Amino acid sequence: MTRYDAIVIGGGHNGLVTAAYLARAGKRVLVLEKRPRVGGAAVTEEIFPGFKFSMFSYVVSLLRPEIIRDLDLPRHGLHILPLESTVTPMENGDYLAAWADHDETRRELYRHSPRDAEAYDEYGRLMHFMAQAVKPILSMVPPDPTSFAPGDLAALLRLGKHFRGLGAERLHALVKLMTMSSADFLDEWFETDVLKATKSASGIIGTFLGPRSPGTAYVLLHHYMGELDGVFRAWGFAKGGTGAVSEAIASAARSFGAEVRCNAGVSKVLVKGGKATGVVLEDGDELAANTVITSLDPRRSFLQLLESSHLPDEFVSDIKRFKFRGSSGKVNIALDSLPKFTCMPDGGPGGRLHRGAVSISPSLEYVERAYDDAKYGEFSRRPYMDIVFPSMIDPGMAPPGKHVMSIFVQYAPYNLNGGWTDAKREAFGDAVVNTVESFAPGFKSKILHRQVITPLDIERITGLSEGNIFAGELALHQLFFLRPAPGWAKFNTPVRGYYQAGSGTHPGGGIMGASGRLAALRILKDGK
Amino acid sequence: MSDARYDAIVIGAGANGLVAAHYLARTRKRVLVVEQHQAMDPSADIGWVPPQVRKDLGVANLRVEEPDPWLTVPLSGGGTLELSRDVAKSAEAIRRISSADAAKWPEFSARMHRLASVLEKLYLASPPDIETRDPRELARIGSLGLFVRRLGKQTVIDLARFLPMSIAELLDDWFESDALKGALGALGIWHLRQGPRSGGTAFNFLHHHVGSPAGVFRPARSNATQALSDLKGVDVRRGQRATVLAKNGRATGVVLEKSGDTVLAPLVVSSAPPRSTLEPVAIELDPEFAWAVRNIKARGVVARGTFTAGATPAYWNLCIAPSLDYLERAYDDAKYGRDSAAPYVEVQRTNGRVELHVQYVVPGAHQGLTERVAKALNARPDQVTLQPADESLYHGELTLDQILFMRPVPGWSRYRTPIEGLYLCGSGTHPGGGIPGAAGRNAAREIV
Repeated sequence: MTRYDAIVIGGGHNGLVTAAYLARAGKRVLVLEKRPRVGGAAVTEEIFPGFKFSMFSYVVSLLRPEIIRDLDLPRHGLHILPLESTVTPMENGDYLAAWADHDETRRELYRHSPRDAEAYDEYGRLMHFMAQAVKPILSMVPPDPTSFAPGDLAALLRLGKHFRGLGAERLHALVKLMTMSSADFLDEWFETDVLKATKSASGIIGTFLGPRSPGTAYVLLHHYMGELDGVFRAWGFAKGGTGAVSEAIASAARSFGAEVRCNAGVSKVLVKGGKATGVVLEDGDELAANTVITSLDPRRSFLQLLESSHLPDEFVSDIKRFKFRGSSGKVNIALDSLPKFTCMPDGGPGGRLHRGAVSISPSLEYVERAYDDAKYGEFSRRPYMDIVFPSMIDPGMAPPGKHVMSIFVQYAPYNLNGGWTDAKREAFGDAVVNTVESFAPGFKSKILHRQVITPLDIERITGLSEGNIFAGELALHQLFFLRPAPGWAKFNTPVRGYYQAGSGTHPGGGIMGASGRLAALRILKDGK
Repeated sequence: MSDARYDAIVIGAGANGLVAAHYLARTRKRVLVVEQHQAMDPSADIGWVPPQVRKDLGVANLRVEEPDPWLTVPLSGGGTLELSRDVAKSAEAIRRISSADAAKWPEFSARMHRLASVLEKLYLASPPDIETRDPRELARIGSLGLFVRRLGKQTVIDLARFLPMSIAELLDDWFESDALKGALGALGIWHLRQGPRSGGTAFNFLHHHVGSPAGVFRPARSNATQALSDLKGVDVRRGQRATVLAKNGRATGVVLEKSGDTVLAPLVVSSAPPRSTLEPVAIELDPEFAWAVRNIKARGVVARGTFTAGATPAYWNLCIAPSLDYLERAYDDAKYGRDSAAPYVEVQRTNGRVELHVQYVVPGAHQGLTERVAKALNARPDQVTLQPADESLYHGELTLDQILFMRPVPGWSRYRTPIEGLYLCGSGTHPGGGIPGAAGRNAAREIV
C-alpha cells in the first residue's frame, strides 16, 4: 500500500490549492475527486453538443493574487477576460447601466439622479478604502477570542490595532457595513431605486436573506475587493470557463508532483488512537497518509466522513447547527441568437450589453418580493437574476454564430414546500425564462436547449450540502473565528492529522482559494 | 423677553429627563424641566429601572410589578400556555405542548440570563469608547473584557454568535413549539421595523431581557415616571414645548413655543428624540454630523393603546403571536408600507389599566386597524383605543448599527453634541429604550 504524506479529499479549487502548496513544499500528495473531472463547483462542461458552460460558479474576481503568483497560474493556462459592465433593465423600458468607463457611468447615473451621481464618487472612495481595510483579514488565520494563548492574544491585539488605525469615521462605516441591511445602507447614500436594487442584489447572492435583511451590507464590499491583475473592482471570466481555473490549479499541483485521481470518492476517514491515518474509497480501497485534508463542506467532513465518536459532543452539535440553506439556482441556456432587451434593443454600441452582465433587479421591492416567496418555501415567481453571455467574450464556448447564456437565479430554496421534483424543476425553469421574456420579448423563441439546476441538483452533483454555493452560509455568526465552529476555525480539527481546507472555513466563498492556501500553510507549520 | 435663569434646563419630563434633572440637582444646580404635555401620561413605564437610580435619588414611591404568570399564550388547539416566574413551573407548563422544549427551558433561561448580564454591565455606564487613547478608558474596556471572559468561554462564543443572529434562528436552535417560539420571538421584534428572521433581533431580545430574572422574557412594568415626578428639588413646567437656542456653537437656553418666553441656561439637556432636538440648531452643526443625525433610523412601528375589557382579564400579560411565521408575515406588510393585516398584539394589565402594544403599525391611514386588533382579542372595536406612533418610541431603532458607540450617531455616544452645553439624555442615546432612567443617569454622570 502506498503511503502519502497528505491525502486531499475533494478536487475543488480549494482542495487543489492546498494540494499544490503542499506538493510545492515537497510533500507527497494525492487528491481524490469523486467526479470524473476536477473543479467541484468550478467546472466547465459541454452540456449540449458544441455548447460549453461554466456549469455552476461562473465569474472570477476574488481569486487571491498571492495564489496566482505562487502557483504561477497563467503559465498553467489561467487567462481572465474582463467583464466590464452591468445593465439593469427597468420595468418601464428604461435601464441603468454601469460601464467600464467611470465618467460614462457617472453621466448615466446623472440621467437618473444628479444627486446620486454626486454621491457615487464619494461612496466609491469609501467602499474602496473599506475593502482595502478588510482585505488583510482574508489572508489571516482567525484568532480565538476565548483563548488565553499568547499567540491568540497577540493576534487579537494586532487586529484591534489594525481597526483602530482606520480612524473613527471609517471604523464607524465598517460597523455599519457589518450590521446593516444593504437597502438601509444604500438609503443613506442614494435615492435612485434601481441603483439601490442592483447594488443590493450583490449583497444577497448565496444567502437566504433579502436586501432589507441586516447583515447584507457587508457583501457590498466584495465588489470593491475583487483584484485581477491588480485592478480593483474587475470581475471576469476565465477563458474556457471556470473549469479552466480548476484545471490550471490542478496542472500547477501536478507540476509540483501531486497526484490527482478522479472517479475516486471517499467514503470514510480512518482514525486510529484519535489520529487520522488514511481514507477508505467508495470502492473499498484503503489509502494511508500521515495527514488527511478535507475540502468538503463541514457537514460532510465531520458528520459523514467521520464517526461522531471521534469528535467532542459540543463540536458535533456546533456542526449540526452550521447553516447551509441553499437559495440559488442556475439556468444554462444554448441560444440560436442573442436576445433583444426592450431597454436597449441593439445592445448598445458594439453590442456591449451582451458583453457584460445583465442584472434583473429593477427595484428594491422586486428583489425583496423574490425573497418573500423563498421565505415561505417557494421559488421566486419573478426572481432576481444575474445574466451573462460568456460566448460574447470567449467565442470558443459556443458553435459559430450561436451563444451560451448563463443565468444565476435567486431565490430557489433547497427546502421547497413539498420538495423538489422534476415537474417543480421545470416550473422553476419556466419562471426564469418567462421573467427574462418580459424584459426581452422573443427570447423564448431563441432557446435551443436549457438546463435547469436547483439547489438539490447542486447538492447531488457537487456534494455541497443543501446546495449552498459557499459551503455554508456567509452570515455574520458563521464567519471568522466561528467558521465552521468556535475553537476550530484554524483549519485543524478535533482529530489529529485531519485538516479542513474548504470554503466552509475562513474566509470561505467564491473562487477565492484563500481557505485552501491558509490550510496548507497551517499544515506545513504543524509539520515542522 | 428673558424672564428666568437656570443652571440647567432639561427637555422632557419622562423617566430619563427626570432622572437626569435630579442627578444634576444633586450637584446644587438650579434645574428646570420643561414638558410639552400638560397632563401626566398615566400609562406604565415598561422596562427595568436600574436599582442605582432608585437608591441614588431616593425614589420612595417606585412600584415595580412582577406579574406571575408573566405571559399567557393562547394555544391554537384551545387552552393556554402560562409562563411563570418559577423556571420549573414554566417547564412543567411547556411540557404539555413539547417535552423536548420543556427539557431545554432551564438551560435556555440560564444562558440568556448570563448574556443579558453582560449587557446590564454595559448599560449602566457610557458606552466603551473604542477610539480612546486614554489609559483609564482603556483599562475600563479591558476590565469589561475580563468580566465577560470570567463568565466562561461559552459566554464569549454565545455573545459573538447570538448578537448578530435573528431571533428566529436562535429559537429554532432551541425549541420546536410554534406557540413558544412566537411568544418569545415577539420580544425580539419589539419596536423594530424588522421581522423575526432579520439579523440583530436576537440582540433586541436580550436587550429587553436585561434586568429580568432568569426565565422571564418580558420587561418589568413600573410607575417610574410617576414616582420620579413626586421627587422634590427641580422646577417642572408642563404644557410647554421647548426648542433649543444656540449661538456661536454654544447652547444658551430654550424658547418656549406657546408663550414665546426664553429661558436662559448654560446647560441644556434634552430627553427628546435626537433629531427633533438638533434640527432647530442645524445651522450650528457641521454637515457630516447633520447627515448622521438625518440618517438615524427611527421609523414608527408600534401603536400603544388601551383595552376596555368588560371584566378584569384573567391574565396579566396576553401575547397574540402564534408563530414566528405569523410575526414574519406581519412584518412583510410593514416592509411594503402597510399596517399588518394580522398584527402582533400584546395585552398588558397593569395597575387597574389594560394597555396594548400592537405591531406593526406604520405611518399612514391605519384603515381597519382597530377592528383587526379587536377581532384578535375577541372584543368590540369600541373597546380598543390605539395611538399609532409615526416615529420610533425609542427615538431610534435598536439595530446593531445604532447601539453602543454608534448611538445616537457614530462617535457621539457620550451624550454630548457638537454644540457646547447641549446634551442628549433620552432613549435615543445609549442604552436606548426600555430601560427607564438608564440613559438619564449615564448622561448626568457624563455632564457632572
